[in-house]
Amino acid sequence: MWGYPEPIGRLVEQFMKLPSIGPKTATRLAFHVLSMSSEDVEGFAKALHDVKHNLTECAICCNITEKTPCSICADASRDDKVLCVVQDPKDVMAMERTHEFNGKYHVLHGAISPMEGVGPNDVRIRELVQRIGTNEEISEIIIATNPNVEGEATAMYISRLLKPFPVRVTRIAHGLPVGGDLEYADEVTLAKALEGRRQI
Amino acid sequence: MRIERLTLGKFRNYETGNVQFADGVNVFIGENAQGKTNALEAIHMLAMGKSHRTSKDTECIQTGEESALIKGEITVKGHRSVLQVDITQSGKRALVNGLSQAKMTDFIGHFQVVLFAPEDLQLVKGGPAVRRRFIDMELGQTHPKYLYHVTQFNRVLQQRNAILKQTEIDWDYVGVFDEQLAIHGAEVTVRRRRFVDEMTKFAKRIHQNIAPGREQMSIEYNPSIRSDDERGHLNVDALAEHYLTLLRQRRHQDFQSRHTTVGPHRDDMSFFIDGKPVQSYASQGQQRTVALSIRLAEIDFIYQEVGDYPVLLLDDVLSELDDHRQTNLVISMHERVQTIITTTSLAPFHGMLEGQMRLFQVHSGIITG
Repeated sequence: MWGYPEPIGRLVEQFMKLPSIGPKTATRLAFHVLSMSSEDVEGFAKALHDVKHNLTECAICCNITEKTPCSICADASRDDKVLCVVQDPKDVMAMERTHEFNGKYHVLHGAISPMEGVGPNDVRIRELVQRIGTNEEISEIIIATNPNVEGEATAMYISRLLKPFPVRVTRIAHGLPVGGDLEYADEVTLAKALEGRRQI
Repeated sequence: MRIERLTLGKFRNYETGNVQFADGVNVFIGENAQGKTNALEAIHMLAMGKSHRTSKDTECIQTGEESALIKGEITVKGHRSVLQVDITQSGKRALVNGLSQAKMTDFIGHFQVVLFAPEDLQLVKGGPAVRRRFIDMELGQTHPKYLYHVTQFNRVLQQRNAILKQTEIDWDYVGVFDEQLAIHGAEVTVRRRRFVDEMTKFAKRIHQNIAPGREQMSIEYNPSIRSDDERGHLNVDALAEHYLTLLRQRRHQDFQSRHTTVGPHRDDMSFFIDGKPVQSYASQGQQRTVALSIRLAEIDFIYQEVGDYPVLLLDDVLSELDDHRQTNLVISMHERVQTIITTTSLAPFHGMLEGQMRLFQVHSGIITG
């Protein structure tokens, strides 16, 4: 590629497969790798290998984990009654950082988007329904999918599927960021916040 | 509202461009294909965030270049600010006073223009899509919330239509999108109705001034979501409820045609002179008078909504107005409205603007004042 020795060209092409990396950045990264020590390069290669081969999906919550069940599902101190449904493993981390949620999770790995060919069977909805059907302890499902068209549709789909089960289905609130000023909020968020107001 | 200065870089046939505008009338004069309309297009982009001629932004970049720049110093209600649009091969960025705006909808609405071009006759003669686009553009630049609902509606509609194209349709699955479709669809419909009502008020008055005889013009909004209940027209919740019912009732039609057959994407509006539809009954001259009345009505509408007059852009239209009164009316706007005109000849202004206009010569992408 571009007259570079074949191994460099191949590395550039690999880097370009990553999101937001174009030919220029890929070339810079490839030459940087060349200047790294052998140990660092091997560590890097091993990390890449391990992330793919040492991680699996938790058999219970579908989150990515080293061993199944994952540490959250195996944690006896957590509340089995409440389940928080999120789109991505990254969302679990975000929820965990709040230190406010002590229930368990279910990771969908995406949201319904027919135009991109992602239907209900392409995300882990079936696994969720199965889990609720076999675990009678679960009493509340909090749906925390993203507040966009696809996230809302996914929430709606799940809530309809769960109608026959004796569980409370809730949707996280949309509204103002804490610590922000009212005047800087965009009007759609403000309108949502107004809709979801509560008595004090 | 005024545009004080316009700076262009690598935009269409302009290598660089720098224009300082006067408060009243500004005239770009030059032969055809020298870049007069390109300059208006740039000003239009500062207001709308997109071109009125193309949906491909990259077409605005000078051939062989990486990026184009448009920058305008504007004054709105006495406050000066700087708007900027950077167009690159990979996308565009909009800035207000040097601050990059996260979404295009945050950029639109800082500055308003009304553009009158020869193709405006299509508003009357063309298909419903032209009129829906007109409503979207005009409401969008005064009501950003409207743009949000239209964008959301279109996204939900695409998702729903994608399911309708599948070989086997699970209606429970389709229904997952219905609620969102209904809410945004109802918001769009109610806002469009209010807009058409307001525009009718202004357009009627203008039409009386420029039409011959005692012709009376009227406008009607023809929404796809119709409620029998007259009072329900402006109630979003009631209309959303009604739209949901329609979506359920029309499943068969939706299945047959493989897309959603009811909703604001099927809206239209019609124009009448003395009760007769303009599209089929009126002469070319009458149609043009109606189109002009609607454009000029926008000026009053924007003033009412925003509190300042928009900038009026006239793209080579004065030579087409056959009536002296019309030319006069358009020209007389400059007392309240900053006006920017493109023309190949000064003949239409003969005796009207002596010493009151700033003249710019446009030749092969170079503007000289």
